[in-house]
Amino acid sequence: MKYPGEKKVFLTMRKRLLFVFALLLAMIIGLLLRLTWLQIVNGPELQRLASIQQSKGKETYPRRGSILDRNGNELAVSAAVYTISINARDMNNKYDAAFIKNLADKMCDLLDIEGEEAEAVILKFSSTNGYELIKAKTDIEIGNKVKEWVTEAGISDVNIDIDSKRYYPYGSLASHVIGFTRTDNVGNDGIEAIMEEYLRGVPGKMLREVDAQGFVLPFFGDEYYIKPQDGLNVVLTIDETIQHLASEALDKAIEDFKVLNGAAAIVMDPNTGEILAMVSKPDYDLNHPWAAPPGIENEGWTGSSSDDVKILQSSVWRNKAISDLYEPGSVFKSITAAAALEEAAVTPETRVDDYPVELSGYLLECWSRPNLHGEESFREAMYNSCNPVFVKVARQIGIAAFYKYVKAFGFYDRTGISLYGESSGYFHEIPTELDMAVASFGQRFQVTPIEVICAYAAIANGGKLIRPMLVKELRDSSGSLVRSYKPEVVRSVISRTTSDTLRDILQGVVTYGTGHNAYVPGYRVAGKTGTSETTYDEDRYIASFSAFAPADNPAVCVLVILDNPSGEQYMGGVTAASVAGRLVRNILDHLGVEKIYTEEEAANIDIPVTVPALTGMGTAEALTLLDKLGLGYKIADTLTDAYGNRSAVNMEDKIFEQAPKAGTTVVEGSLVFLYTYEPDEELLVTVPDIQGLGISEAAAILNDSGLNLRSEGSGTAVRQSIPAGSSVKAGQVIEADFLVLGIDVE
Amino acid sequence: MVDISAEKNEKSKSSRRKSADFWIMVIVITLTATGIIMVFSASYAFAYNSFGDVFYYLKNQLKFALTGTLVMLAAMNFDYRHYAKLSLPLAVFSIILLFLVKIPGIGHEENGAMRWIYLGPVNFQPSEIAKISVIMLLSLSLSKNRKNLGKFLSGFMPYLAIIAFYAVLLIWEPHMSAAIILILVSFILLFIAGARLAHFAVIALPGIAAVTAVILKVDYMRTRVLSFLDPFKDPLGEGYQVVQSLYAIGSGGLLGKGLGKSLQKFMYLPYPHNDFIFSIIVEELGLVGAFIILLLFAVLIWRGVRVALSAPDSFGRLLAFGLTCLIGIQVILNIAVVTSSMPPTGVSLPFLSAGGSSLVVLMGSTGILLNISKHTGREA
Repeated sequence: MKYPGEKKVFLTMRKRLLFVFALLLAMIIGLLLRLTWLQIVNGPELQRLASIQQSKGKETYPRRGSILDRNGNELAVSAAVYTISINARDMNNKYDAAFIKNLADKMCDLLDIEGEEAEAVILKFSSTNGYELIKAKTDIEIGNKVKEWVTEAGISDVNIDIDSKRYYPYGSLASHVIGFTRTDNVGNDGIEAIMEEYLRGVPGKMLREVDAQGFVLPFFGDEYYIKPQDGLNVVLTIDETIQHLASEALDKAIEDFKVLNGAAAIVMDPNTGEILAMVSKPDYDLNHPWAAPPGIENEGWTGSSSDDVKILQSSVWRNKAISDLYEPGSVFKSITAAAALEEAAVTPETRVDDYPVELSGYLLECWSRPNLHGEESFREAMYNSCNPVFVKVARQIGIAAFYKYVKAFGFYDRTGISLYGESSGYFHEIPTELDMAVASFGQRFQVTPIEVICAYAAIANGGKLIRPMLVKELRDSSGSLVRSYKPEVVRSVISRTTSDTLRDILQGVVTYGTGHNAYVPGYRVAGKTGTSETTYDEDRYIASFSAFAPADNPAVCVLVILDNPSGEQYMGGVTAASVAGRLVRNILDHLGVEKIYTEEEAANIDIPVTVPALTGMGTAEALTLLDKLGLGYKIADTLTDAYGNRSAVNMEDKIFEQAPKAGTTVVEGSLVFLYTYEPDEELLVTVPDIQGLGISEAAAILNDSGLNLRSEGSGTAVRQSIPAGSSVKAGQVIEADFLVLGIDVE
Repeated sequence: MVDISAEKNEKSKSSRRKSADFWIMVIVITLTATGIIMVFSASYAFAYNSFGDVFYYLKNQLKFALTGTLVMLAAMNFDYRHYAKLSLPLAVFSIILLFLVKIPGIGHEENGAMRWIYLGPVNFQPSEIAKISVIMLLSLSLSKNRKNLGKFLSGFMPYLAIIAFYAVLLIWEPHMSAAIILILVSFILLFIAGARLAHFAVIALPGIAAVTAVILKVDYMRTRVLSFLDPFKDPLGEGYQVVQSLYAIGSGGLLGKGLGKSLQKFMYLPYPHNDFIFSIIVEELGLVGAFIILLLFAVLIWRGVRVALSAPDSFGRLLAFGLTCLIGIQVILNIAVVTSSMPPTGVSLPFLSAGGSSLVVLMGSTGILLNISKHTGREA
């Protein structure tokens, strides 16, 4: 085998052999790197996908975390339900067909399944599949009955697994904030969706059940059972009571003012940015989110078709508080004022006037024309909401400064509230002098309600723009704190001095100016009305009121928006102001904020009086007592002579009956109706029409008819609780709403 | 070792005697033992599902590991130089088998391919024998014929014809992966035996063109190649196996889930004990486990190279290196497939994958390698 040059050949072979060896090694190293890459870079994602797959079908579900309000009230909870399935293949290997048919019948009986559905169940029992779902999400009691039966009968191939179903105890309350889950328990909207990763928990695994084909494998002990980790409870900043108050206020407003396109309200703690309530109307029942919205044909409605979902998304699911864009109107004048005050262009006492401004061919006039306010202080201009004044101060500080403040107040950005669907406002990119002039009184740009309330919170809290907060903390299923969210200051917008000044002015707007309908004695409400036409159509306008209280130390900020009120006799911010004012009062009552009355308020305050028990007393004694309590009286007497005169009251008579009943709270000066005989039936009187009357006038007329008045607001009566012409028992309390009209038809 | 005394008495002309390569033996036994454990871990769910017996594959693997060990010990003590005489008859025998496997009744179909011959309790794939036989045949022929190898038509082309003949038979089964392995090992042998690079270059161009054409023409190959480029595009269809394999690998992490704790083996990853056992190993033993396995293979290849370099003659050298490459290439192809680094093709992982005839043949090959290691020509 020797031949010349073998040495050389061997060397070539050795070289090439080593070369191939190096190549093989390099490839092994390359694969090792690839492996490392897969695990380190792609690992987490692959793991997640694998876990989703392995958890499919049969897993032990974690309890989805609850959603709680700030006081621990449960807004969304998961209740245990059972999902019942069978291993039909194993069953068919063990039992004969007749026996299995028996089992199927019994199962249908227990689950109350009949007709075609029952036939489907019987078919499933005779199948050869390892996993057949019999019934998902059945009630615990029914599930327990099945469990009992299965245990007694000793059948091992029926699986009864705990599953969960979402319940929303408050129905439609805060529906847009809370959101809902799909049938697979995954959040679809609201907090349910955005906090999904915390709420859902980690599914447990029953490894013997992970088998993709539903096979039960032998010798799997408990160590193969990985316990599920319950989801975290999400504690919201929402206060359930305040949410209720706000929701009721909007419901009433929609009815009273014939609001056609829904409404929104936001209540915020201006110091922390915590949202205490967020309401959008129309809303929907979270327990039935796919139900047809009111006014939509039920015929053919599935709730899940893409058309149906579009309808839901554009109506009841829409969170107007963050998704709707609108012109804020005069509400925005506070921003212009803040800029002017901060830039020291004006002080509250600077003399200004509301004579028209001509700009680029447009004449910008005061809403009150031809009765102009003329020369006035800047403070008064705010009270009167004079457009030309704001145009003038805006021009004085200039485009750059004006838009600097618009930007600083956050109108160019989303607020970043933790909800899906927040719209981005539209504000001038390259503003002209005219853009600014019109923007100074809040027109020709679009913002979201949440942006507006954040800006007002900044005015209220001393000048800091704060990120709105909906989630307060996360707690585990045992209640321990896992994470606490802290208020986040976005930036400082105006100085404390400017904030102080503006708060004082805005309180004046409510006390003396166009915002008077939001006035609540003792609570120092500050705020500004806004009315804006929409770009959608000419007759549709949006009435809004942005308020905070108490003005000297704000505890809440409230924004009320009514989309298209269509009542005829009242227009504009009047409607929203009265809603906001009453809402502020109810909220501060709930929060226990102290009322501080001015001397004037103290003098005019309605003093509540409890009606005493008078029956059995002598008439004289009763009248003395009523007089002492500051209550009026009227004595019923059927003894009328032929001329229509009533006989004189006999002071000796005993009182048989009284209205209102003892213990009723009425205001001082109210009337108590007395019977000096045993009436066959209580006297009926006819309710007079008090609409359009002032409070004292209305009270007098009602008293004359033997009725009492409970008034809300001030100005003229716009609504009475019992319509004129109705017959009611004498002594009845008639509630009436009063509004100051015609003060801000801007 | 036991054999040393036995061998000492035998006279040898051209080579000195020494003990068999200790490392090769230890590594192969370690890998085989690991394979038994991992096959059991990976297969019991599948075994229960298919045969109602969780130990089905464990029993099989133990049986074949034992047979394999006996074959290895026998081969270790059988002078490799005898193969020079045996290689031609063996080649003829293997070709006959490759024809026989296509005859229904003798050959058995599995997944649409005729790859198995059942002989009572023993089932084997003729392709395994073909691979060994080609390595022996080429080693013998190349060691005698090196002078001619420099000529294209009379030297290079005949080898190409032999390789092509075998490859066509294998593709006919069809058994694409066996054909690829056979071609690669054969070319490596041609290359180290001293074939001219220019000759390789001449055939490279039409070769690549032909392969590309086949991939584009044959539907199942095209979809396979496409699925490799993005397995997640069709995770439940073409990409299923690879995606499942990646899930297993990704779930493993540094230290793995622990022996026996793979979740992917529960009917998600098809045949987890066969071609995709490495994925389960990574899932259960993590990156560290995978690293150790690859390190063992790397050392095994290195020892194989050492044996080749110190072999007393060209036949031994080529044979040793051919067998080493047979193992190395299968390792690389297998791991490339399970990590989605190349289009999927069915290559089992030497010593670790479940599989009867493959394990026996591989252990037999190791025995031959061990025998060569006992003969030392010149120092490497």
